[in-house]
Amino acid sequence: MILLPCPHCGKRNSNEFSYLGESAPRPTETGDAKLWRAYLYTKENPAGWTRETWLHSGGCGKAFLAERHSVTNEVRATWLPGRKEPDTTTEAGS
Amino acid sequence: MTRSPRRLDPRPGEVIDRNRRLGFSWNGKRYEGYEGDTIASALAAAGERIFSRSFKYHRPRGILAASLHDPNLLVQVGDEPNVRAGYRKLEDGMAVSAQNAWPSLNYDVGSLNQTVARFLGAGFYYKTFMKPQRLWPAYEHVLQRFAAGGKVAQGAERRDCDKRYAHADVLVAGGGPAGMSAAIAAADEGARVMLVEEEPGLGGHLRWGTPDDLARLAELRTEVAARPSIEVLTYSLVAGRYDDNWISVLQRGLPQVTERLVKVRAKVLVVAVGLIERPYVFEGNDLPGVMLSTAVRRLVNLYAVKPGDRAVVFLANEEGEAAAEDLRQAGVEVLRVVDARRGGGLLRARGRRGLDSVELQDGSSVACDLLVTAVGWTAPMLLLNASGDRPTYDEEAARFVPGGGLPDNVLATGGILGDGPVGLLVDHGRATGALAARRALGGDAASSSSPEAVPALTAAPHPALFRSGTRGFVDYSEDVSAKDLMAAAREGYDSVELLKRYTTATMGPAQGKLETINTVAVLAEATGRSIGETGTTVWRPPHSPISLGALAGRNYEPVRYSPMQPWHEAKGAVPIVAGQWIRPEHYGDPAAEVLNVRKNVGIIDVTPLGKLDLRGPDVSRLLNFLYVNKWSKLEVGAVRYGVMCGEDGVVADDGVTGRLGPERYFMSTTSSGAAAIHEWIERWLQTSFREWQVHVTSMTSAFASINVAGPRSRELLARLVADVDLSAAAFPYMNVRQGSIAGVPGCLMWRIGFTGELSYELHVPSGYGLSVWEALLESGRDLGAAPFGVEAQRIMRLEKGHFIVGQDTDGLTQAFTAGLDWLVKLDKEDFAGKAELVFESERPRESRLVGLQPVDPTVVPPEASQIVSGSSTIEGRITSSRFSPTLNRAICLGIVSQRCASPGTVVTVVHPDGTRTPTRVMEHHAHFDPEGTRLRA
Amino acid sequence: MRQRGATRRRPQRYSAFGLLRHGLRHDDWPRVWRTSELDRRYDVVIVGAGVHGLAAAYYLASKHGISKVAVLDKGYVGGGGSGRNTAILRSNYLTPEGVRFYERSMELYRNLAVDLNFNVMFAQRGHLTLAHTDASLRTMVWRAEVNKLQGVNSEVVSPEEVKRLVPFMDVSNHARYPILGALYHPPGGIIRHDAVNWGYARAANALGVEIHQNTEVTGITVRDGRVQGVTTPRGEIAAPIVLNCTAGWASLVAGMAGVKLPIITHPLQAAVTEPVKVFLGAVVVSGSLHVYVSQTDRGELVFGASTDPYASYSMRGSLEFTEELASHVLELMPSIGRMRVLRQWAGLCDMTPDFSPVMGTTPVEGFLVDVGWGTYGFKAGPAAGEAMAELVATGRTPELISAFGLARFEQGRLVGERGAASVGH
Repeated sequence: MILLPCPHCGKRNSNEFSYLGESAPRPTETGDAKLWRAYLYTKENPAGWTRETWLHSGGCGKAFLAERHSVTNEVRATWLPGRKEPDTTTEAGS
Repeated sequence: MTRSPRRLDPRPGEVIDRNRRLGFSWNGKRYEGYEGDTIASALAAAGERIFSRSFKYHRPRGILAASLHDPNLLVQVGDEPNVRAGYRKLEDGMAVSAQNAWPSLNYDVGSLNQTVARFLGAGFYYKTFMKPQRLWPAYEHVLQRFAAGGKVAQGAERRDCDKRYAHADVLVAGGGPAGMSAAIAAADEGARVMLVEEEPGLGGHLRWGTPDDLARLAELRTEVAARPSIEVLTYSLVAGRYDDNWISVLQRGLPQVTERLVKVRAKVLVVAVGLIERPYVFEGNDLPGVMLSTAVRRLVNLYAVKPGDRAVVFLANEEGEAAAEDLRQAGVEVLRVVDARRGGGLLRARGRRGLDSVELQDGSSVACDLLVTAVGWTAPMLLLNASGDRPTYDEEAARFVPGGGLPDNVLATGGILGDGPVGLLVDHGRATGALAARRALGGDAASSSSPEAVPALTAAPHPALFRSGTRGFVDYSEDVSAKDLMAAAREGYDSVELLKRYTTATMGPAQGKLETINTVAVLAEATGRSIGETGTTVWRPPHSPISLGALAGRNYEPVRYSPMQPWHEAKGAVPIVAGQWIRPEHYGDPAAEVLNVRKNVGIIDVTPLGKLDLRGPDVSRLLNFLYVNKWSKLEVGAVRYGVMCGEDGVVADDGVTGRLGPERYFMSTTSSGAAAIHEWIERWLQTSFREWQVHVTSMTSAFASINVAGPRSRELLARLVADVDLSAAAFPYMNVRQGSIAGVPGCLMWRIGFTGELSYELHVPSGYGLSVWEALLESGRDLGAAPFGVEAQRIMRLEKGHFIVGQDTDGLTQAFTAGLDWLVKLDKEDFAGKAELVFESERPRESRLVGLQPVDPTVVPPEASQIVSGSSTIEGRITSSRFSPTLNRAICLGIVSQRCASPGTVVTVVHPDGTRTPTRVMEHHAHFDPEGTRLRA
Repeated sequence: MRQRGATRRRPQRYSAFGLLRHGLRHDDWPRVWRTSELDRRYDVVIVGAGVHGLAAAYYLASKHGISKVAVLDKGYVGGGGSGRNTAILRSNYLTPEGVRFYERSMELYRNLAVDLNFNVMFAQRGHLTLAHTDASLRTMVWRAEVNKLQGVNSEVVSPEEVKRLVPFMDVSNHARYPILGALYHPPGGIIRHDAVNWGYARAANALGVEIHQNTEVTGITVRDGRVQGVTTPRGEIAAPIVLNCTAGWASLVAGMAGVKLPIITHPLQAAVTEPVKVFLGAVVVSGSLHVYVSQTDRGELVFGASTDPYASYSMRGSLEFTEELASHVLELMPSIGRMRVLRQWAGLCDMTPDFSPVMGTTPVEGFLVDVGWGTYGFKAGPAAGEAMAELVATGRTPELISAFGLARFEQGRLVGERGAASVGH
């Protein structure tokens, strides 16, 4: 059971959260099938740091963004949408 | 009652209580032991030598390690299979039996396999039994009879185990001298410590040690006991370490439950699990009477059992010397001590049902009944492996040692790390414990002393002894010999993983605790590589097997009831499981319930409907985005039906939403979709539309919901509602009002009609649900008011042609296919799924949801029956079907391919029993009152 | 360059007689597959020595005479999902495309022991998918009906019949989720997964295919939209065809060729108990309770569940997996609470949006994929290998896999297998 640091509640067991998947911007242009289906279906699916959206559904109800390492499951940053993104580029990460 | 001829006079460190005798049975015979005995020690004291028969060759097996990991000591205790007799404490009245022997442990027919062993090498079954293939089940049946292990009993009572959550600053795995010292030091730094020890007592190897060791142990125990911030769990196992130091501990020996799973979130884990003694590979190494030095020391010093009469000791370390000394003290005649460090060597052991003699490298043969080996150690790496450590092989010490790569929140101390006198282990443990506490508590730790450096602790040089010149068993549980491993390696299964899979070595109940190191060593020898190059396997949890019962704990699967559910059950309603909810399916006769609604008035409990309270100036924008239809012009007091789609255009949910005030709305969702839709809304509001001012609150359980349906529903409701004008003109179809019902204020009344009748959906503060429910029935008695259940509602909705999301649609049904052309408004601004629905609208339709009626009105095709053309080309399926009591005929909804979808087409429905029913495609989904005149009444 | 077929040899056949002879002479069996130097050029490079890659190689060599093939793996043969799955075989899928495809796989599996001269121990014990709700019962009928129309033996049976097939099952109505019926698929069963991998590897190698373990593909060279070859720590390899059979790692390998996939990697965990005397015949699956269980010939219960709830490449496993598993298994069979979980492990699943695979060509010419198998990969191995071999040899996508192309996502033509698959073993 990994711990996720909810920006509002602090570290909680992962089963309190709903995983909403890789964060990808919704196209503003919806008439282009190729673009739209890429948004719907294509995934980066990296083995490494990945940016994703979680919802603290069993807690405060906040949706937030997380940078998690998909191999180690380490979470190095979480933040609320629209807030300043933490600078993680200089931090050590495998 | 069998006596205990091999019990010694009291020993200084013994753990048995000679004042408490326990009676038990072994293979039906009565035995006696003492409190504190293990099953195996009590049997050994009674002179028993054979405890099991091996898996494949049914060779007799006796005590090897006398511990949790002893592969030879698996027994059946009552209805519990595979009990570790070298570990499990003896209890009064235990019925213990051998598992893998027929007709008896001493004379086992299966041992005949040994005579054909040369043909049954590891993996032999991959090379035969291929032809004829039809005979494989027969071969398989024979193989199955060799399945090892005990028996489970059908009907065995389920014993509930409980669970506990704990939050330790420092969890110390292993209560030997290093672990105890770590716990003491961590506690002194202010940490809350959990100290977990596998054995029933703290102390590790000190427990079976010298008087000096025992004195040291007493001091350490006193120090631990003096610190209330150390919680000690003995007879308990750290079974696994998972990400973020989520640690599973299996606790035994509790008075209330047999086992308890403790789930610990430890800030820092200190791994002090010590070492396991490894066996030596030589011919005859599995004979009863061949034991590890630690087994001998445990038997003699902890249980006061004399393990043999005439012994040979083969050793390469001090532990072997100590074992020899223990034996002498116990009155065992130590015939020879063969010291590998001085060039001594062991060739083979001989005997049939037990050890008779030992052949040494010098050519001599010694008749004896006990052979003790002390050839070195192996480190149980699970907890370190799971933390990211990759063990490396230390040539000098001839064992795998931690290779580094541990995160900050895991530390190691004690034997797993290195060797040394007790003093060094204690010092290292203390320094490590203090460091662990400082890390756990962060910089604020009120440390009284300056941090002491962690002393060096490295593995001491040790002779590399794995196999003598002869070939013996490497994996006892699996009957895999060195010969098997070498043959398999030469055949190409030459990496540890392939070898393990091919021969099953290390895959048995002991999971390679004793065997992995020798497997690797034999493989290295066979391939000419070094042990380091060969590498070891990844250790996988649990450290020792955990029962399903302990993992499961008590069954905790919450059930949701509406406030009226007890009433339904009291009235004999048949319950139906609907997701988390239990609901009334019907009250005896669903068809009569339908007719009563059509003729009079019925009430149904619809509490599980998802209900959301939406407030704020931007709710209407939100609704426009969520639903496929338009919402901007919804007046206060009005209600509208809507369908939501996912971004892929697939129908996700439906329901009605009403406007209660300028900035206040109330949304209903399907029962099963309630939680998911709430999340869906939050997701959009919080990530994409953060500037929108909308507040969403789930009201599902806050309101009890009752649908009052039927031509007399207005009349009924009017008797209970004073503050709302219910007249058709004042409260028309698709409107919502707030008011009091049966004296209960704060109720919502929606005029909607899932059943197709004039009907009102009432949302009542849930504490008053039952009272309003009873009031409706009471005051409607003369109107024929009666309850109806889920089944009647399903019939009526099908009569009306309303689809059910997830039943009449599936995971790929987009809105137009679901027949929602009338609802989808592609001319409005962007909404969820719009892009896909535009695409769907532009391409030729492939299939659609239609109403269907079997030509023969009496035949109801079962739901999910397929619609075919020709003999087997699938054109669609029946998604819903019922016999309509209203129309007195069978009615259906179904998905059909576009070419069969025109009204009037007669399609063929194939029932599960193969009969074919001509069925007509209808113009409308609705079979009854398609114009909706009744519900607008 | 060596001549095609020059390295072929017939391996010594496995048989009862052979066992006797070897037992008497105490001599060795020949190597199951030979090791060789890495060549600079192959006709086909297959990435991933799991059942898909090995089967494709075997059928390329045996059916199409293309044996200048290298199968590369970063680890050992069958070390990924092919050696980590719960070895359940069945063909009772939901969509006609799925049923046809997996039925072909079953057909190949049924003859595989003889075909490969390697006993893969396919035991057709019967396969039960339990229904605990009327919705799932309806899905079971749906599957059964589609199956029957495709000639697959499948039917919905009553709780009484479930009890007859699995006496340990609690079919009473006081369970939290009572069993309302089950989809019964008599031809379904279990197989020895490692044996399938080794059998394919041995047979392919005997026909000239090279198997290179510990040879990780670290790059794929693409020029002018065409694949040129692959890079490994052992050197560059030129090849006009590169086939990606890497399951959970499929996105990473495809990424080397610049191809993006509709795949998310989720761990799928499994566990095995200590052995007890055999008491469970059929394979039992419960979608509602997220569990499947079978008993091996060795007496161990093998369990699986649904994939982990979030994407990850971690194979460390979790405690909650075993807790939920145990809880659900005891719901089904309350009297086995004293059995113990011996070992847990995880594999990586390449999940697609519609629970159907991605097979065939990609925008990069010569770079082919056989991925997106999710939790169904092992069942599909033989048929997928056969179809991919045909595609490589003929340049045409076989009808059997035409519904599973990568382009379907861009075209919005998903295959509806998802409907049957909350947990679908």
